Amino acid sequence: MTPGSTCAACVALFRRDLLLAWRRRGDIAMPVLYAVIVTTLFPFALGPDAALLSRIAGGVVLVTVLLAMLLSLDSLFRSDVEDGSLEQWMLAPQSLPLLLGAKLLAHWITSAVPLIVIAPVLASMLRFPTAAMPVLVAALLLATPLLSLLGGVLVALTAGSRRSGMLLALMLLPLCVPVVIFAAGAVAAAQDGLPFAAPIAWLGAALALALVLGPLACAAALRIAMDA
Amino acid sequence: MANWVPLWLHKLGSPPIFYRFAGIVRPWALTLAILAAAVALYGGLVLAPADYQQGDAYRIIFIHVPSAWMSLFIYGAMAVAAFVGLVWRIKIAEIVAMESAPIGAAFTFITLVTGSLWGKPMWGTWWTWDARLTSELVLLFLYIGVIGLYHSFEDRRQGARAASFLVLIGIVNVPIVHFSVNWWYTLHQGSTVRLVGPSRIDASMLWPLLTMMAATKLYYVASLFARVRAELIASEGGKEWVRAIALGEDARS
Repeated sequence: MTPGSTCAACVALFRRDLLLAWRRRGDIAMPVLYAVIVTTLFPFALGPDAALLSRIAGGVVLVTVLLAMLLSLDSLFRSDVEDGSLEQWMLAPQSLPLLLGAKLLAHWITSAVPLIVIAPVLASMLRFPTAAMPVLVAALLLATPLLSLLGGVLVALTAGSRRSGMLLALMLLPLCVPVVIFAAGAVAAAQDGLPFAAPIAWLGAALALALVLGPLACAAALRIAMDA
Repeated sequence: MANWVPLWLHKLGSPPIFYRFAGIVRPWALTLAILAAAVALYGGLVLAPADYQQGDAYRIIFIHVPSAWMSLFIYGAMAVAAFVGLVWRIKIAEIVAMESAPIGAAFTFITLVTGSLWGKPMWGTWWTWDARLTSELVLLFLYIGVIGLYHSFEDRRQGARAASFLVLIGIVNVPIVHFSVNWWYTLHQGSTVRLVGPSRIDASMLWPLLTMMAATKLYYVASLFARVRAELIASEGGKEWVRAIALGEDARS
């Protein structure tokens, strides 16, 4: 039996992951619900002052989306480690980085896209100015795949270990500091009517770099963590 | 020929030889570290004049600055050891990388604590979201992440290899964090001691600083070797050379 082409394998894996996510639609809703709950709590904690809320809205939405993604990242490889599919991919003749790239893309679509869709609603709840909304969405569109890729590498490192969600958060924090700074910088600049092209460009550059290196690092990390 | 250098390094990769080598070096490094630290503290706290602007409060730099240098130096050393361990699968290199992490974390913590003690009278605040402070805090999180990842594996070598990979990710990340935070906001003063060109610090203050730097380096060596020896005994337990040491010490006592 000859193995299928890498492209076919990636598409098959991508479809499988989307199908699995669709069969468990409730799991997709959990991060969104989490983001809604966290954002709802902020006005209760800080008071309903519109000026204050609109000032912090961009940052609150960004951090909330980041935390919600962290919640879903934890289970990225869990079921695949448990049922042994991960070992099969590592043994497969197709290139592991590309397979993992397809998997991360499916994960981004199922976990981050719903969050990006809900983000403008959350931001409006916090009186975020409508004029700056496109910049917020653009920053999220660039920052969330970056977080997915960075998180994917770290989740791969913990794949062979005892489960610890807190450990993942601890490891991701140093990596996501620059992402948060540039995303929030762009949003704040747009809110103040300043040029926001530079931080957005930096995010784009980082994303281009992560798109190339992320799956490679993820594959290397998996091979180390699973001790292949 | 100069063939003995690679040969010696190669031999050092063997656990029993490294164990004996570390046992010989450690007491010397520790003694020299204590002597140098005592001299540096005397020079810094007694001999050096008070600063014309900051008074006596500046004297904390004799602890703060060497610790800050060490926090970065140890990360660099750890990254080199992690790289060697990952590429050539040398057990000693993995152990050196993993045992460096707690020492580096301790120096980072000392840097943060002394910095905020100095910041209170000088800047009027314990903590500020300044570029250098934030980078140092991120460095501390990186160290803790490495230690946490190492201990989350059942198998020590597997944990060491995974954590080594995290160390290498971190070394790419530290400059990015520093640059991005710098772009974000900064308050900390620039560096005063330079490798190239004249330093903007008086000689009477410089020599205790450099002596203290030597002391912290020597302390790192002493502490690292003690930790590596303990880890070697623990992980190699049951091997012939460990049994020989254990029996030999039993016979002596």
